[in-house]
Order: sequence, then C-alpha cells, then structure tokens
Amino acid sequence: KRARRPKPCSVRELELTVSELGLGYESDETVLLRYCSGKCTAHRHNYDMTMEHMMRTGFRKKGRKDKVSNGPCCRPTAFEKDFSFLDNNSRYHTIQNVSAKNCGCV
Amino acid sequence: GEPMRDPVVSAGKPCNPCLDAAKACNLNETCKRLRSAYNSICSKTTPPQPGSPNQEPCSRKRCQKALRQFFERVPWELSYPLLFCSCPDQACAERRRRTIVPSCSHQERHRPNCLELRRTCRSDVLCRSRLADFHLNCQVTPHTVSGCPHDNHRGCLMSYVGLIGSDVTPNYSDNSPSNITLSLWCSCRGGGPQEEECEAFHRDFTHNSCLRNAILSFGYGSDGGPVP
Repeated sequence: KRARRPKPCSVRELELTVSELGLGYESDETVLLRYCSGKCTAHRHNYDMTMEHMMRTGFRKKGRKDKVSNGPCCRPTAFEKDFSFLDNNSRYHTIQNVSAKNCGCV
Repeated sequence: GEPMRDPVVSAGKPCNPCLDAAKACNLNETCKRLRSAYNSICSKTTPPQPGSPNQEPCSRKRCQKALRQFFERVPWELSYPLLFCSCPDQACAERRRRTIVPSCSHQERHRPNCLELRRTCRSDVLCRSRLADFHLNCQVTPHTVSGCPHDNHRGCLMSYVGLIGSDVTPNYSDNSPSNITLSLWCSCRGGGPQEEECEAFHRDFTHNSCLRNAILSFGYGSDGGPVP
C-alpha cells in the first residue's frame, strides 16, 4: 500500500452562518470562512530538527523543563479585511481577523 | 413521490429573500468588501464634540459616499436584491429597510422642509441631475400598464438607486412587508404658501405607483435588471 501524500498547508473554505462562528453574535447571515489546514513537513528548518532533539534529551541534560514546538504550523500569515453583517436584532457589527487571506508554515 | 414544497418554508426555516441577497453578496469578493466598507463607516458613531450640541451621530458625508461607491461598483445583480427583495414578514422587511443604514444615511436629527431639501439637492450638480432622472423615469404615467413611462421599470429602479447617497436619499418608511411606502426625511408641515408644491414634491416618493410597482415586480423576479 502506497503512503498517501500529505496535503500541503493551504487555504480552505467553508460556508457558515455568523452564529456558527462561535463569537457570540446571533446572525443568520452567511459568511465564507477561510482557514488554514495541511502539513508543513516540507518546511522543517535546522531549528525544528534541533528543537526535536532538545525536547527528547537536550533540555533535560541541561537541567531545563521547557516545552517548545518542534515543527512549523500551518497558520494564517494574513487575514481578510473587516467583515460587516446585520444581526438578528437589526444591528450592524464589524468583525476583524476572522478569515485567513494567506496561509504559511511558520 | 416528490415531497410537497411550501413556497415560504424550506428546510424548516422561513424563506427570507433579503437574507439570501446578503449571502450572495458575502460570497462575492467585491460586494462583500464594499458592503462591509459602507456598513462600518455608516454604523460608526462619532464621539460628541464639546460646543456642537446638534452634531450628527455619525459621519453622514462619508457614509453617503461609501453608499454611492457600493451602488456604482457592485453589479446590480448583487446590489439590487439587497434593496428590493420581496418580504414575507416584518423581520425581513426590517432587514430591507436597514440596507442603507438609514440612521446615518437617511435620517437627520432635524427634519427639514421638503422644498429646502430639494433646494440643497439642486445646488449640487450630481444630486440635481439624479433627481431630474428620478422625476423623468419614475413619473406616474396613467396610460401604461405598470404606471411607469414606457413601462420601463428598470429605468425607474436605476434612477431610484441613483439617489441613494445623495442629499435626497429615499428609504422605506417602515417595516411593513407588503405595503411598501417610500419617503424622504423631510416634512411639509408649516410650509406656508408653498405647502402644496412641497406636498406634490414629496408625493413623488410617498405615493408613486410606478416606483412601487417597479420594486414589487423586481422582488417577485418578473423583471430583470437595468437596460444595458
């Protein structure tokens, strides 16, 4: 059985109502949520390999208990502009930094 | 067999054409951006300034400019359904009434005389021409089926939209779903000798069967958009 190639980090889209965003707003307006998902295996630097090693043995040997992430994460590198909507009580709201514009392994 | 289809309720949710219009706009990059732009400008309250007690609660000029840009740059297929959607209930009609953020773009602290409002409009080149357009294209014509000149509903809707963001920004006067009444933010009370002229001017908005028919027929999908 051939190993499935992991999907690289990229922007994905999902149609949701504003209520479903979990931000506490009640509105049936539909919004296109863009988010980041996928693997970052191709983006490991020497830093990540060193951190992996340090987590396994390095820190303990030096008397440290630090926790570090040992690999890049697929995260937004830019967000979409403001988004406005009318809630179910006829009030307008503007929300920011909800939807990803670009994703990257950081 | 096929399940029975209720025209008003589908999937357990009441149908709301104005909400559908908002969805279509939010899924389009340009429409979403320009709608968010005018909504956030028009809903932003200005902090009270000492020494100017009759200050407007928002930046009206900026709001009106953002509204004009929205209707100029967004294709009518996306912008008109927000404004002229047909409504089965009050919640929908309230959404329709709030489309242009009337608290900032339509209403003012002070309700001017309608002729005074017309004078303000006529002193501005763009507003004057838009108002003349409206009078030409939405003039009630008794000898046509629709009540519009040459039965041209689209021409009337375009002229109406052209006024949004001007000194004579019209809007729905309430959240009645079917009994559509449009008006300007002005009055003719105490208008003196010109009271009749004033009433006649405002009646072109409040009692205009051509305009009302044009909006109703757009909402029910029997009419397309503007003539190219």
